[in-house]
Amino acid sequence: MRPLRHLGRRSILHPPPHPPLTIPLTSSRPFSESAAANPSNKTQIYVSRSHDPLTNLSLEHRLLQTSHPDSIVLLLYTNRPCVVVGRNQNPWLEVNQARLGPQSHIQLVRRRSGGGTVFHDEGNVNFSVICPPKAFHRDTHAEMVVRALAALGEGRARVNERHDIVVDRDEGKTFKVSGSAYKLTRLRSLHHGTCLLRSPGLARISGLLRAPGEAFIKAQGVDSVRSPVANVGVEPAAFVDAVVAEFRSMYGGQAVEVDGFGEEVLEFEKVREGYEEMRERAWVYGQTPRFVLSTEATEDDNRERPAVPFESKLYIEAKRGIVNKLTLNGTSLDSPSIVGASIWEISDWATRLRDAGAGVDDVKEVGAWLDGVLATQP
Amino acid sequence: MASIARTLMAARPAISRLAPRAAPLARTPFRTFSSSQMNLLRKYTKDHEWVDLSADHKSAVVGISEYAAEQLGDVVYVELPEAPGDWIEQGDAIGAVESVKSASDINAPIRCRVHAINKALEEKPSTINQVPEDDSHGGGWIAKVDVDEAGVKEFEGLLDAEAYQAYVSTVDEE
Repeated sequence: MRPLRHLGRRSILHPPPHPPLTIPLTSSRPFSESAAANPSNKTQIYVSRSHDPLTNLSLEHRLLQTSHPDSIVLLLYTNRPCVVVGRNQNPWLEVNQARLGPQSHIQLVRRRSGGGTVFHDEGNVNFSVICPPKAFHRDTHAEMVVRALAALGEGRARVNERHDIVVDRDEGKTFKVSGSAYKLTRLRSLHHGTCLLRSPGLARISGLLRAPGEAFIKAQGVDSVRSPVANVGVEPAAFVDAVVAEFRSMYGGQAVEVDGFGEEVLEFEKVREGYEEMRERAWVYGQTPRFVLSTEATEDDNRERPAVPFESKLYIEAKRGIVNKLTLNGTSLDSPSIVGASIWEISDWATRLRDAGAGVDDVKEVGAWLDGVLATQP
Repeated sequence: MASIARTLMAARPAISRLAPRAAPLARTPFRTFSSSQMNLLRKYTKDHEWVDLSADHKSAVVGISEYAAEQLGDVVYVELPEAPGDWIEQGDAIGAVESVKSASDINAPIRCRVHAINKALEEKPSTINQVPEDDSHGGGWIAKVDVDEAGVKEFEGLLDAEAYQAYVSTVDEE
C-alpha cells in the first residue's frame, strides 16, 4: 500500500505550476514494442490517431502486457462511436442493441477492465495510464485529468467518491464528464477513463443505454450506475495537450513520446491477436455472466414485470451467453436447437422454438419478442 | 493478487487515503483462520493467494488471503475457472474478481489443474470479503486443484503463515 500514497502525495497535493499547453509532442517515431519494454524508458507517452476502438483497446492491452514493469505509460485515444460494456456485464441488460449496428455506425465493444457501460464518440477523449501496482491509486490519474481541465479553464471539475470526474454546474447540479475503470495484473495496473469534451452524441446516450429486456433480466456480474452526463466543452486537441503536460509534470521530462500512429499497430502480431479476440462474439456476448430472463417474478427477482405480447410464461437461464434452460409455462424445451445454443448465434428465435416443439402461437409471438430483447449485432 | 493488495479501497473514507498510517494499519491482516483447524500445510504467495496442500501432496485448495480481500474492497463478481480444466502454470491467471470497477486476476499459486470450483461465489461474491481463507463449505475458497511434483516443489518455495504475516506487515509499513 505504501508507495502509492507517497508517490501520489508528492505530485498531487503540490502540483508544480502548469507548463504552457502548446508544447507539441516532440517526436513522431513509430510505435515499438521493444521501446515500450526497454527499462530505460521509464516514462512513455502515446497518442493514437486510430479511431478504431478495438485497435486502441488492443494496443492499450499490449502496453499493459509489455511495457517495462517499472515504467509509467500514458496513452490517449479517441474512438469512433461505440458503446463499451465492462468485462463482467450483460449487454442485453445494458444496451439497446436495436440502436447499434451498421445502420447507426455504433459498434458494441466489451473491454477487459471492470466497471460499467460507457459511450464513446469523436467528441470524447480516452486517457489510459499504466503503472506499477505499488504506484496505483484509483484517484491519482483522475486528479491528473482534473488538473488538466482546470488548466483549460474548467475549474469546477472534481473527482467524486466513485472515482469519476464530475463538474458542478449552476444551481447545484452535478454532471459526470468522465468515468473510470481498472485492470489489475500481477505486474501492472491500468486505469483508463473517458472524458466527454464535445460529444455530439450526448442526447443519444440515454436511449442507447436502455435495454428492452431490462425489466425481465436478472444478471450476475456488474450493473452500471446511471449518471447525468455533460460535455466539458473544450477542444479534444487542447485536452490531449493539457493531459500530456500534466503527465509530464508528474513524471518528468525524459519521456518516450510516440504520436500519430494508427491502424498499422495491428501489424504487431500480439496486438492483432488481442484485436481478433475482442472482435469475437464469443467475447462480446460469451463473456456474459449467468443471467435469468423471466416474464414472471421469481424468487431472486420479484420485480413486477411489464406486460408482454403473449400469454405464455417464459423463463430462460443462460451462462456465458449460452442457453442452459428454457421453459414455456413451466415445460422445459430440451432441444439442442435451444439448450446449449449460443444466444449470439440465434438470429431467428421463432425457428429455434419451432424446432424445439413449441406451440404455434408461442413460436410466432415469443419468437418475435425474443428477437428484440436478446438481439445481437451481426 | 499483488496488484490487488496495493489497491486502495473505494469503500474507505477519503480521509484514510490521505493518512497513510492511520486506519489501514491498525487492523490486523489476519483474523483467526475460519477453517476449523490451523492447517499446517497452508502456504501463501507474495501475490496474496493461499494454498492448502493435502497430506498426500496430490491435491490442494486455493484462495485469496484476508489481506488481499480487504484491500480489494467489495467484490461484486468472481470469474471462476472451468472445471475440470487444463494444467495451469504458477503465476498464470486461474480466475478473476471484480471490485470497485477493477478487474483483477487471481493467479495460480503453484502449477495445478482445477477439478472443482466454489460455485457459491457466483451467487454470493461477497463471501470472498467475509471468509476468504475458509476452505470449507460456505467459505471463500476459489478452487480445488490437482497438484503434480512440480507444483509440490513450488509449494515448498512459498511463505508459511508466519513469514507471510511478516511480509504483509512490511508491505504496510514501507
